[in-house]
Amino acid sequence: MLSRVADSLYWMGRYLERAENVTRLLLVTEDFSTETQGLAEDLAQTAWKDMLTIFPSAQLTRDITPFAPLAVPYLHAFFTDQANAYSILVSIRKARENARSVREALTLEVFLALNEAFRALEAYERKGMPDLPAFRDALSATHKGIFTVVGAIEHTSTRDEGWRFLKLGESFERSYRSALVLRTKLPALLAAEARGDAPLYYTQWRTLLRGLSSLENYRRVYGARLEPNLVIGFLLFDADSPRSLRYGASIVRDYLAAISGPAELTAPARIIGKLYADLRYDDEAQMRRGDFAGLLDRVVGELAKTHDAIATQYFVT
Amino acid sequence: MPEKKAFDEAFDGRGTARQHYRPLVSILESFTQSEIERRERLQKLSLMDQGITFAVYGEKEGTERIFPFDFVPRVIPALEWERLQAGLVQRVTALNLFILDVYQGQKCLKDRVIPPELVLSRKEYKRELLNVIPPRQIFTHVVGTDIIRNDAGDYLVLEDNCRCPSGVSYVLENRNTLNRVFPEFFKYYPVRPIKDYPTLLLDTLLHAAPRFSEKPVVVILTPGMANSAYFEHSFLAREMGVVLVEGRDLIVEDNYVFMRTTQGKQKVDMIYRRVDDDFLDPLTFRRDSLLGVPGLMNVYREGNVGLANAPGVGVADDKSVYAFMPALIRYYLGQDALLPQVQTYLGARTQDFVYIQEHARELVIKTTGDSGGYGMLMGPFASKKEIEAYLAQMKRNPGNYIAQPLIELSAHPTYVDGTFEPRRIDLRPFILYGESVRVLPGGLTRVALRPGSYVVNSSQGGGSKDTWVLAAKDG
Repeated sequence: MLSRVADSLYWMGRYLERAENVTRLLLVTEDFSTETQGLAEDLAQTAWKDMLTIFPSAQLTRDITPFAPLAVPYLHAFFTDQANAYSILVSIRKARENARSVREALTLEVFLALNEAFRALEAYERKGMPDLPAFRDALSATHKGIFTVVGAIEHTSTRDEGWRFLKLGESFERSYRSALVLRTKLPALLAAEARGDAPLYYTQWRTLLRGLSSLENYRRVYGARLEPNLVIGFLLFDADSPRSLRYGASIVRDYLAAISGPAELTAPARIIGKLYADLRYDDEAQMRRGDFAGLLDRVVGELAKTHDAIATQYFVT
Repeated sequence: MPEKKAFDEAFDGRGTARQHYRPLVSILESFTQSEIERRERLQKLSLMDQGITFAVYGEKEGTERIFPFDFVPRVIPALEWERLQAGLVQRVTALNLFILDVYQGQKCLKDRVIPPELVLSRKEYKRELLNVIPPRQIFTHVVGTDIIRNDAGDYLVLEDNCRCPSGVSYVLENRNTLNRVFPEFFKYYPVRPIKDYPTLLLDTLLHAAPRFSEKPVVVILTPGMANSAYFEHSFLAREMGVVLVEGRDLIVEDNYVFMRTTQGKQKVDMIYRRVDDDFLDPLTFRRDSLLGVPGLMNVYREGNVGLANAPGVGVADDKSVYAFMPALIRYYLGQDALLPQVQTYLGARTQDFVYIQEHARELVIKTTGDSGGYGMLMGPFASKKEIEAYLAQMKRNPGNYIAQPLIELSAHPTYVDGTFEPRRIDLRPFILYGESVRVLPGGLTRVALRPGSYVVNSSQGGGSKDTWVLAAKDG
């Protein structure tokens, strides 16, 4: 397939996944900040500021006004602000631009669903959001719209090379963004243990799991009790959870192998393969060592290298 | 009201529906106003959702508009179409022979059927392609010929588009839309299907491919997403199942064309290019072109890649060559032209030039190279000042201008702002030159949506209609 088309599909996958991640994080953070701002405003503030670390170079364009809820400037910036490179509207617009430039490589259903999601976001931007409930409604509807696109891809795409590049982009973005969420939030959360405000402490762990859409999956494995070590183990090393780092590395590795053919070992496949081996076979030692900040730095770094190697291998010919 | 003089497609002089429009008129009369409005809303929504849009030049980058679609179909009876079709096949056959002659032998110029300077001085004439003859001697693989009807209802050829005629995707999508939104219409009419156009187009392209490849690889070359016809390029690629490439996806090596793929380079045999000659190859034509492929023309000259339409066909689109078409048809085919065309005065001819100067107020004056309704003067609607300015410009290079009397385009009932009103229309049938010359039944009917307007171009406020050719009654 054309390198340009593969490149566009890869990025379409990345932007779609990114839009879904932003939507989910906004919904979860909004919940958290509403729940905690009266109790511990600093925690609520940190939760929002984390968005700017998870999505580096994202920008707030509205001032934080004294009496407005904390969430408002962040929701504005990350929902439909065209000036913020990480807003949902910008991600969906870019996904659609990529789709438009390779329209013949997609099914009509996928294109229709994506077009509809984009037009809905444009309408939200035009109308503006009067209050938090309006944001919440619109974000939930957007979440569904994105899942409709993902579902259309799942149900109508032929499993050819183009599909594999799209899925590669999607799974890469998921792993990379999950690693950034963990790197941003985990060290602070571990340091907070001493505070001893138990209900609030567990709310934070629960929010971390929800932010990575893993709360229910965690409960299925370990029950309702939130043990920090179990949560960390689950988010980093679980074999089946779609957002654990180990699973993410394995799936990126699998799509790369499907693209190159199992016999060929490409540069990106080597990098991701080594990372996967670490996460798969070194899990117990890592848990004992407890240097999660160091581990997460390395994961983020290796993933960034994988992306560069993918681009060199396939998009620049 | 200029509409009064125009030939009305649907109603005769006494206001009675013509035979082939009667069922349609009764169906439309059976709808309530609110029902029609509901259907119209459905139809607009469906176009926007499907992203059937065209890009508009000069507006913010990436601007997309829907091409307005009018749901009242144009109906062409079988016999009328048969005559049109025969005329189009004859015309395209002659056009191809003319282009072949221009690039090999130039007999028609030596025999003075057409003044040589008229052809050789055009920028569309590519001297560097002299004696470069494409496979099977076909230059004009896809032609869109613009047809109008005068006040007597006669079909006249207005112009030939041998370069990159666009619009066929709207023909196919208009039919889809009408099928979905007004299924009732189709119950009483034997409408000839058009859905196999992509198959016919692919056959045409495969037929024209260089013969060294057992399974020729066909691609469509597009200038890219910002082009006004990008939707069509992508649509045709999808419908034919071929790869849509941009210039940057192709490279030339060892005198072959390759596309850059994730598995390395892959050879390309046949290019349906939707990029103008001047942008095809920066080494041969325009140096500043970023749309083309450096070295492409050399590969074409060697016969190692096919191009549709062949480069250099633009000579036949020239508006002054048009004036000689009846003579050229007689010259190459020994036949009279089956389709009449519009009387044309040439700026290059002294007595015509004088006539144009004296009668500018009654004439439509056009530059020979432009299309899309750009660069023309509508004498009957222009102010004295505008006419004088235009004539002064023309004086500097009369050879670049032609003039024609204003033809009353036929009018067709069109749904505008809640009522049915007559609006002027034209017709662009699509002709494919493969193993034989075939015409897609119908074509693109464009409609001037502004009252009184003659300008049907999509870039200037035009819309389109579904065009029905009825099947002959007994087979």
